Amino acid sequence: MSWVIETEKLGVSFQTRQGTVAALQDINLKVEPGQVFGFIGPNGAGKTTTMHVLLGFITPTTGSARLLGTDVRLPLARQHIGFLPEHPDTYRFLSGRELLQFTGRLFGIRGRDLRRRIDSMLEEVDMTATADRRISTYSRGMLQRICLAQALINDPDLVILDEPTGGLDPIGRQQIRAMIAGLRSRGKTVFFSSHELSEVELVCDSMAILVGGRVVVQGKLADVVKPGQRLESYFMDVVRSRAPAGATHA
Amino acid sequence: MNTIFPIAYVVWLGLWRRKDAYVLLILMGAMLLVLSSLNVFGLGGKVVYIADIGLVLTWLFSALLAVQIMARELPAEQSRGTIHVLLAKPVTRFALVLGKWLGAWAAVSVATLVFYGTVAVLVYARGGHLPGPATAQALGLHITALAIITAITLIFSTRMNHDAAAAISLILTGAAFLVIPRIPEFVTSETGFTAGVMLVLYHALPHFELFDLRQWIIHDFGMVAWPVYTQILLYGLAWITGCILVAWMTFRRRHFSRGDRML
Repeated sequence: MSWVIETEKLGVSFQTRQGTVAALQDINLKVEPGQVFGFIGPNGAGKTTTMHVLLGFITPTTGSARLLGTDVRLPLARQHIGFLPEHPDTYRFLSGRELLQFTGRLFGIRGRDLRRRIDSMLEEVDMTATADRRISTYSRGMLQRICLAQALINDPDLVILDEPTGGLDPIGRQQIRAMIAGLRSRGKTVFFSSHELSEVELVCDSMAILVGGRVVVQGKLADVVKPGQRLESYFMDVVRSRAPAGATHA
Repeated sequence: MNTIFPIAYVVWLGLWRRKDAYVLLILMGAMLLVLSSLNVFGLGGKVVYIADIGLVLTWLFSALLAVQIMARELPAEQSRGTIHVLLAKPVTRFALVLGKWLGAWAAVSVATLVFYGTVAVLVYARGGHLPGPATAQALGLHITALAIITAITLIFSTRMNHDAAAAISLILTGAAFLVIPRIPEFVTSETGFTAGVMLVLYHALPHFELFDLRQWIIHDFGMVAWPVYTQILLYGLAWITGCILVAWMTFRRRHFSRGDRML
């Protein structure tokens, strides 16, 4: 099988004044195409660091990572990726439409294709009417939506979302859930980290739990969490004991 | 190349929409008007005097603008967190560094052109004129010097915050303008180690005085010989290329973690 995300013995260490700190150790992740994959763990577990390695912001100390079959250290690996950070922000002196034009051009989309894509994305995030206003005049929810539109402008095969529902009101969360469901229905792969276990339970097909820089559980949600059990209680058990019986240990 | 120009264009737009250049232009216009109405040392509003002060201010303001714009670009990307969004695209770090430099340099170059225009209007308003070919040559070298200043600032901005990068770049630029051309005079009064250090500095730091043709315009000396002019341009090009490569080397291995937002 060709994996959308594949890491092998991925490790990241940082040098500090106290010595070497291992942020990630032996991460072996495999994400199938078309899945919604939840990446969960307590604060400081290394979720964002893993995402940053996948996106090429951080070079791994050991091991390797591939996105859609391409080494993450190559810019080409990000050609078919969409990314929405935890606290999205952007160039506030641009209008929403200009931001999408800029992002589209970075992906090499030009001319009529770009215009068509921009109109489609603006409609999808319900911002057609406000597209020509400066982003500095947008509300937080509008900012989140235009950043989401720029993350999807290239019609990505893999969408990486870092805490996508953090700080959003119930309507905003509902919109993100609907967006993830829409991406799945179009055969896209979504990889997202979240503290909101109820969100993960609602939208994910598979998941991995990261504790102390190691993946301690990975598998299909239906296989990992027993019928009648809530993900939250399972997660708490895992975090306390690191690896309960019955799960697929990574 | 596909990604360099969009990045440069956003830097360019940012400058004009944040109105930095307009503020400087207004300041310069106001200062020139005041200066041209004064009668300092009995020189009054003599055309040469207006042109001289105007060109000094043009150099000062354009250098300040170059440092301020360039020093802000990369640190602002980090503090806003937009560096993550940018690098999550198929953008190489070299393209990012080059695009930022190109946008800043283009914006500063246009602002400088406007400053020259302002000086020319004031000089013509007083019945004088600026020699066209010499002014064009001076503008070309001025813009090349600004490319070096932005490239030097770019190096510091890859690792420092805005304030630190701007401060160091301004000190270096100021020293290159004011101190370095005078080093040979100091060396004659020094011996041994001190003289050696001064000579190393003299050769290692950029010589912006080569790019300054103000006196050629003011006193209408004619044009600089093209072979000499070309050599100065090549000297500038070598500095620009070197600085951009150093900036890329310091930036390409840089890790961008969440903590960078707090810089």
